[in-house]
Amino acid sequence: MSHADAAPTAAPSGVTTTSAAVATAAPPLRPVRGAFGRLLRSELRLVLGRRRNLVLLTGLGAVPLLLGLVVFFTRDTAMAGEGPGFIGRVTENGLFLVVASVFVCLPFLLPLTVGIASGDAIAGEASTGTLRYLLVTPVGRSRLLVVKAIGALAFVAAAVLAIAVVGLVAGALLFGLRDVVLLSGDTVPLAAGALRVAGIVAFVGLSMTGLVAVGLFFSTLTEVPVGAMAATVVVAIVSGVLDTLPALDAIRPGLLTHHWLDFAELLRISPDWGVVLGGLGVQAAWVAVFASLAWARFTTADVSS
Amino acid sequence: MPTGGVAHSGLMTETQPTPQPAAPARRSLSPRARWAVPAVAAVAVGAAVMGPPLFASAGDDGLPPVTPEELVAKVVEKDAPALSGTVVYTARLGLPSIPFGPGGASADPVNLMSGSSTLRLWSDGEQRSRVALLGAASEYSVVHDGDEAWTYSSDDDEVVHYTVDPADAATLEKLATEGPAVKGDLPTPQDAAEQALAHAQELSTVSVDGQTTVAGRDAYQLVVTPKSTTTLVGRVVVAVDATEWTPLRVQVWSASDDTEPALEVGFTDVSFATPSDSVLTFSPPAGAQVREVVVPLPTEAEIAAAEQEHTDGALPQGVTVHGEGWDTVVELSGVDVTGALAGDPKALAELEEHEPTIGSDSAQALLEDFGGDPSDKADMGEIDPSALLDSIAKPVPGGRVVTSDLFSVLLTDDGRVLVGAVSPETLQGLA
Repeated sequence: MSHADAAPTAAPSGVTTTSAAVATAAPPLRPVRGAFGRLLRSELRLVLGRRRNLVLLTGLGAVPLLLGLVVFFTRDTAMAGEGPGFIGRVTENGLFLVVASVFVCLPFLLPLTVGIASGDAIAGEASTGTLRYLLVTPVGRSRLLVVKAIGALAFVAAAVLAIAVVGLVAGALLFGLRDVVLLSGDTVPLAAGALRVAGIVAFVGLSMTGLVAVGLFFSTLTEVPVGAMAATVVVAIVSGVLDTLPALDAIRPGLLTHHWLDFAELLRISPDWGVVLGGLGVQAAWVAVFASLAWARFTTADVSS
Repeated sequence: MPTGGVAHSGLMTETQPTPQPAAPARRSLSPRARWAVPAVAAVAVGAAVMGPPLFASAGDDGLPPVTPEELVAKVVEKDAPALSGTVVYTARLGLPSIPFGPGGASADPVNLMSGSSTLRLWSDGEQRSRVALLGAASEYSVVHDGDEAWTYSSDDDEVVHYTVDPADAATLEKLATEGPAVKGDLPTPQDAAEQALAHAQELSTVSVDGQTTVAGRDAYQLVVTPKSTTTLVGRVVVAVDATEWTPLRVQVWSASDDTEPALEVGFTDVSFATPSDSVLTFSPPAGAQVREVVVPLPTEAEIAAAEQEHTDGALPQGVTVHGEGWDTVVELSGVDVTGALAGDPKALAELEEHEPTIGSDSAQALLEDFGGDPSDKADMGEIDPSALLDSIAKPVPGGRVVTSDLFSVLLTDDGRVLVGAVSPETLQGLA
């Protein structure tokens, strides 16, 4: 536990409560040039290098591969083209393997990934007892929270990219890439189609930011990372269930998951950017509320472990 | 957590050992002030959501007054403008929910019977237009391009190409230039409103009721209230754009529910500019199955006969009309109800031809527009028709009845069907 190395430099009792820390007239910290970048780099190395996370990325990358192989080997059978969403288009154009994989991962696998990444961010450090030593180094709490948020976002981005890249490669090898047939039945050139699919991947990635903020907030509430992870996944699932109830028509557009499937807008002949930006706006609203909640909680909480 | 420790330990050498290291660099905010930040964020989000509608309704009373006659005339004389926009169609008919299978969120015209659907509309105001019914991850498009038309369903990747027989094309051109114009069947608010207005005068009170804002544009509201007190239709409200004189929204209110319209179709977003050519043309994608349908034109003799029949007011065989105006009840005998529900095109075509109204002309037009050709409705074929009938029709003495907020349907055991915008009791009385 090399975090413990930091201990001799500080009196742990001085950081057990924020109020104690605040009440003590600490000498003004001289910002160390590059410290933030260093902290961020080490966090990214930590998040992207952790074995558990690498296994998760591999698993997500296996989804398009599995999907592509299943479609490839069943394409001459009676079951060809049967399946959710965009599966039917995959055999015609490998590019759609990216879209179909993202579509398949959206309801559960991606929220699970977000839950693991963001739920673990603060609570993981707290549960292993390293959080207070991190704060003693000294790193401001706001700054640490920002670094943790960026780390979680980076991992989610890596997850979405893993699906997209494996989907693209597998799709290209198994089915080839052609001009893209839109949902409207019109055909656009491959380059324009690839740009649209890239837009879909970006939209899906950004659609996860609200859930990252929610998970980060949960992560500041507990010292049990599993609790924060599970709560985050539950929020996504409950939101998805509420979205199916017609009685909640008035609030449904504001639900976290309501606009996730709006990525289909990018496959229409003339995308309505209002719809796309509206979906991202809802995510921004969730980020604003829950990131500020996480910040308020984390900067006022007693950190004792 | 060894890896974490190693990763972060690089930081140690950079920092100065301080006795009280965890103190925040800026101590300007008390804990209470910190908790105020999320509260402020939540309020800001709430204001961003609630704000625009409040703001929009604040300043929309600057339109000069018009009489209903002026308004109707303006609408009728105005040519259909080139436009593009998003139309939301909502039906709250109070029908029992119909189990249409897993296609609930997909772009299938059948979903127009209940719930809310979003359409996107492009029109150059003349011969070319595109309407797309949007599903969550699917789309059903209807493209009219001069004398040909296409439909495309993304769910089954099927294209249907409607053309006019080359021999008939010349006739069509002649008709288009000198004869009665062949009208396209777009589900636009324009068509719906024109029909409602034409129907309105004699049996209804027509008034202009203030102003409103639809899709961010100022609009007059034309209110058509039936003089009859026994019909289920409370009123029909048409919002007409105050500068383009084009209907932007049609609402049909039930007499029994004054909080929300039973049927509503209107723009949520509209712009009066000519859409680009790429939207108004269609070429079938490679790999899609294309079904060719050649639409036969009626011969001149047939047209003449049809017009004759129309002016005579003669009814097709097996159809009886009771009452008049809003209380009209149409009785069909010898209809194969189960066949029609199963999507048998023949039974359905027959039914459609005879069925003049569901609640109002406008509502009927809208419903028809999306199932214009019977072959589309054949998609319903997967549903067990008798189970469907059981789920929406209540048994009553002598038959079964379907009730909704706007219309009632009575299916008698001896094979007659009575339809009207009246209460089921009235239908039973007539049967």
